[in-house]
Amino acid sequence: MSKTLLYVLFTIYATATVGYMVHLIWRRPILPKASLILITAGVLLQTWLLGHRWWMAGYLPVTNLFATLFFFSWALALIYLYFELRYRIRATGLFVMLLNLVLLGGALPRNTSVSALIPALDTPLFSLHIIFSFIGYAFFAMAFSIGALYLCQSRLNSELLPDLPTLRRINEEAIFLGFGLFTLCMIAGSIWAHIAWGHWFSWNIKSVWSVLVWMFYAGMCHAKFVRRWQGGVYAWLSIAGFGVVLFTYLGIGLLLESNHPLE
Amino acid sequence: MELMGQQSKLLLQRIWSFGCSLKLAIALASAATILIMGGSLVMHFNPAIFAGMEQEIMSKWLPRAWSQTPRLVFWVPLSGLLVLLFGINTLCCLIDWLFKIKTRWRKTGEYLIHTGFILLVIAYLWGNISGFRSGPHRIFPGDRIAIPKMPGYALQLDEFTPRLEPSGRPLDMINRVSLWKNEEPVAKALVRINHPLIFDGLVILPASFGQELQGFRFHMPDRGFVDLSPGSRLSISPDTTLEVRKLLPDARQNSQGRVMQTGNLLNNPAMQLSLSGSGGQLWQGWYFLHNPLPGALREAGVFLRPVGPINKTFSLLTINRDPGDKLALTGSLCISIGVIFAFFSFYRKRVQGDRPEV
Ligand code: HEM
Repeated sequence: MSKTLLYVLFTIYATATVGYMVHLIWRRPILPKASLILITAGVLLQTWLLGHRWWMAGYLPVTNLFATLFFFSWALALIYLYFELRYRIRATGLFVMLLNLVLLGGALPRNTSVSALIPALDTPLFSLHIIFSFIGYAFFAMAFSIGALYLCQSRLNSELLPDLPTLRRINEEAIFLGFGLFTLCMIAGSIWAHIAWGHWFSWNIKSVWSVLVWMFYAGMCHAKFVRRWQGGVYAWLSIAGFGVVLFTYLGIGLLLESNHPLE
Repeated sequence: MELMGQQSKLLLQRIWSFGCSLKLAIALASAATILIMGGSLVMHFNPAIFAGMEQEIMSKWLPRAWSQTPRLVFWVPLSGLLVLLFGINTLCCLIDWLFKIKTRWRKTGEYLIHTGFILLVIAYLWGNISGFRSGPHRIFPGDRIAIPKMPGYALQLDEFTPRLEPSGRPLDMINRVSLWKNEEPVAKALVRINHPLIFDGLVILPASFGQELQGFRFHMPDRGFVDLSPGSRLSISPDTTLEVRKLLPDARQNSQGRVMQTGNLLNNPAMQLSLSGSGGQLWQGWYFLHNPLPGALREAGVFLRPVGPINKTFSLLTINRDPGDKLALTGSLCISIGVIFAFFSFYRKRVQGDRPEV
């Protein structure tokens, strides 16, 4: 993949983010609209880049940290577009796109080359496991952003942000969809473990934490029914949940050794 | 009497509501999550104790680990218990739903997820109580080994081909295997990475492969190349025969003259040879292949020059059995279908404002 196109992509998202920022100070309706157009262009370009890498490699290249960060960033931008087009979540985009810039910025300095697929990863179960996992993570990242904004909005009561009931609804929806997709990731992973290791659950730290992520968000699918937790507590839980996700995705690879190394 | 009956009915109702309680579910799930979070770190920093968890089923590993260090492993049975209680809680919820299915059939997706989870808990328990994990088993092409704990069953390796990268790094292990039951073949498969043989709860998969020294190739001035391995006999003259007794890949002779094996890698190979004539044994001794040929052999007219080792490749196969695997697959299927259904019902429930509040 050409690094120039990657920098172009980063610039597009960064400009869109700046557009949202300037809108906070200099309220012109044209700014969020322009940002939205830029993000749509960015998503199209990123989709093309991803498809091109897939085509060139002959398999979905998500086998190293660059590739997973790139995929994660794509999924987050796409999910943001879905929520923006559906609910018009306005300045919420600033927070989500800042997070996206962190992901893409983390990918930029890394090696973009695609290596031949080793037989251990040469199974559609692997691709499904990764696709569902990162789309799930992206929903959890979205829920994290919405949760943080819910807490801001409950203090600021700003007209730039959606009202609290909408933020709450979007948060619950992001958690639910993320949980569903992450469940499919766990199932693909378990079937793969069964054919690769001969047992469908492995007591290694990465697998254990993936189960913890799953249990946490399964819990959250129910926590929204607890009247006293709706809104504020739920927002805090979304933030904590994303902490668990980050530890599972990056923390284990960076801080501890596992059979799912980072690079 | 009637009051007593009513009271016990009320009590039963309360117990049932407690069993179905969503708050209980959240409490159990949270407790299990926090416990396993801590436990996973204990597990990571004590590999000596927890490494066996991968090689054995839980009902074998846990009692042994517990007897060694209960302080470090107590969280495993405790979180297991919490997950089990959580499973029972889910089951109560599911039964409660089944009683009201006429009005709640639209929530089939959610309850398929719940059913799948219960099936997974049962499948894990079943597999970890009555299954087994064994191996890796060393097996040469053509050999047949008995399947542990399954009398009458045997595994035969018909053919083995390792696939290597040009750099020599192993890429894949292609095992043509057959499974036998009471001397009848019941399954055949090409077992390689991500392609195990699965049969009635058995999973047979490649773990690794290696080579074992079988013999040595020598050059003899009058005969050219000859291959010698334990058991080989070579006729030297009409009444003199050379026989290979033993072959050690790495050997050492101690001060008393005894020869011992010191390793399995090819470092200092030695062959025990015996020379016999019509009147019986003429000589027996060790030939260290890095040293000159023993004088007794040269005198008898044996001139051997070692050329290189003859290795035979073996495959290392893992044989596991999980009788709960079909149930686990059914559970996974229930959950997957449930997730797809729930994606639709989530939006419908939202539009209708149909949600329980506790
Ligand atoms: C690991 C186990 C469990 C998983 C994965 C799970 C998953 C789910 C999911 C995804 C939903 C849909 C939520 C929504 O509509 O937004 C749900 C709903 C629900 N779950 Fe669970 N659940 C589990 C255990 C339990 C337990 C133990 C209980 C009962 C105590 C329970 C009771 C309920 C109830 C009452 C609903 C709401 C259904 C409705 O809309 O009326 N769940 N569950």
